[in-house]
Amino acid sequence: MLESHRPLSLLCELTYRCNLACPYCSNPVELARYRDELTTTEWKRVLDEAAALGVVQAHFSGGEPTLRRDLAEIVAHARRAGLYSNLITQGTFLDDKRLDHLLAAGLDHIQISVQAPTEELADEIAGTNVHARKIEALERIAARDVALTLNCVLHRRNHDQLAETIALAERLGIARVELANVQFYGWAFRNRAALMPTREQVLTGSAIVSAARERLRGRMEIVYVAADHFGEFPKPCMNGWGREFLTVTPNGTVLPCPAATAIRTLSFENVRERSLSEIWTDSAAFNAYRGTAWMAEPCRSCERRERDWGGCRCQAFLLTGDAAATDPACRLSPDHALIVEAREPKDEPLVARR
Amino acid sequence: MKPEARPTFGKGVRLRREPDGTAMLLVPEGALVLNPSAAAALELVDGHRTVADIVTCLVRAFEIGEEDARSDVGSLFDRLVERQTLRFL
Repeated sequence: MLESHRPLSLLCELTYRCNLACPYCSNPVELARYRDELTTTEWKRVLDEAAALGVVQAHFSGGEPTLRRDLAEIVAHARRAGLYSNLITQGTFLDDKRLDHLLAAGLDHIQISVQAPTEELADEIAGTNVHARKIEALERIAARDVALTLNCVLHRRNHDQLAETIALAERLGIARVELANVQFYGWAFRNRAALMPTREQVLTGSAIVSAARERLRGRMEIVYVAADHFGEFPKPCMNGWGREFLTVTPNGTVLPCPAATAIRTLSFENVRERSLSEIWTDSAAFNAYRGTAWMAEPCRSCERRERDWGGCRCQAFLLTGDAAATDPACRLSPDHALIVEAREPKDEPLVARR
Repeated sequence: MKPEARPTFGKGVRLRREPDGTAMLLVPEGALVLNPSAAAALELVDGHRTVADIVTCLVRAFEIGEEDARSDVGSLFDRLVERQTLRFL
């Protein structure tokens, strides 16, 4: 059996329903089979099993997790199980009453995404008029006793407004900002050509972030996720497959990474049929790319193999059809040309998520 | 930092003891595994004790020199304040 580390973090995708239609959504393009959502009782069991496995943090995401009416009950259960809880939301359903319930349940951290710092572009990307209400939600939550992060997914359409996004967070008194270049999975992969930032945007963006970090040291933490299509080495996806992270989808499917259903050659098990612990330890899908023994060259003999973990399995599969290939984002990959070609911006229309 | 400053955890920060005795500081999107001396100092953080109180407690508990305790606590707290994990009242 392969050595399975203790998972530290559980992503609970409570529902894929969402009132927004962002074209970079990481949810699967094929959503129909996730409509049979886990019940409150089933989520509570998942949280108990995760805590027993050693998980310390639960992240509640979606879709839009606040569409689940039992969210506060689930958060309260996470707290009882000793888990730190984080809510990743578009924010507009968090009125004072809902916030009261969630904070009383022990919610530790809220992350709210904005699509851009300016209303017109933000609403265009979200496919609906929500930006103004998001700003109200951010103001309301910043005044409460809960950690708050403002998130923004960066892509070609909003990259030039990166400095304004940081300024918006500063104006709202938000202490933590996460700026993540779009990762190409789900709807974002379908829209890759239209979302791909330009090299100039990527370079300018890094410089803006460095300067802002320096200027705001001690007042604002800026997490920046680089554009891996423009780097030399791949991102160490999930810090290694089946090593620290678990994702449970709305219907109970257990994944090593939220994008993993893209890998059609794997079949994933469900918490309705097996315990989380058995799936984590024994399932073929979790063991497929655990550790380094599955690697082929150039990863197998690479000195970075336990740093990059071969990069992203999902990206390897999406681009080469082989999930065990070196992530083409690595300059050492024989398929690296696929990434280089994809850097060329193309004027294609954005397809809104349905 | 002033000896009379009273440290408290930032929003969304929780100290957690594992069944095996190791301590972790849970922060937004992360967990910092603490060494025993950092864990001992942070367990005394409650928004009431001052930095000087915490140093005194550590000197007694671990039978270490006051200078060493003051410098260890100072550098730990400085690092945590910079990342907003800790703040002073």
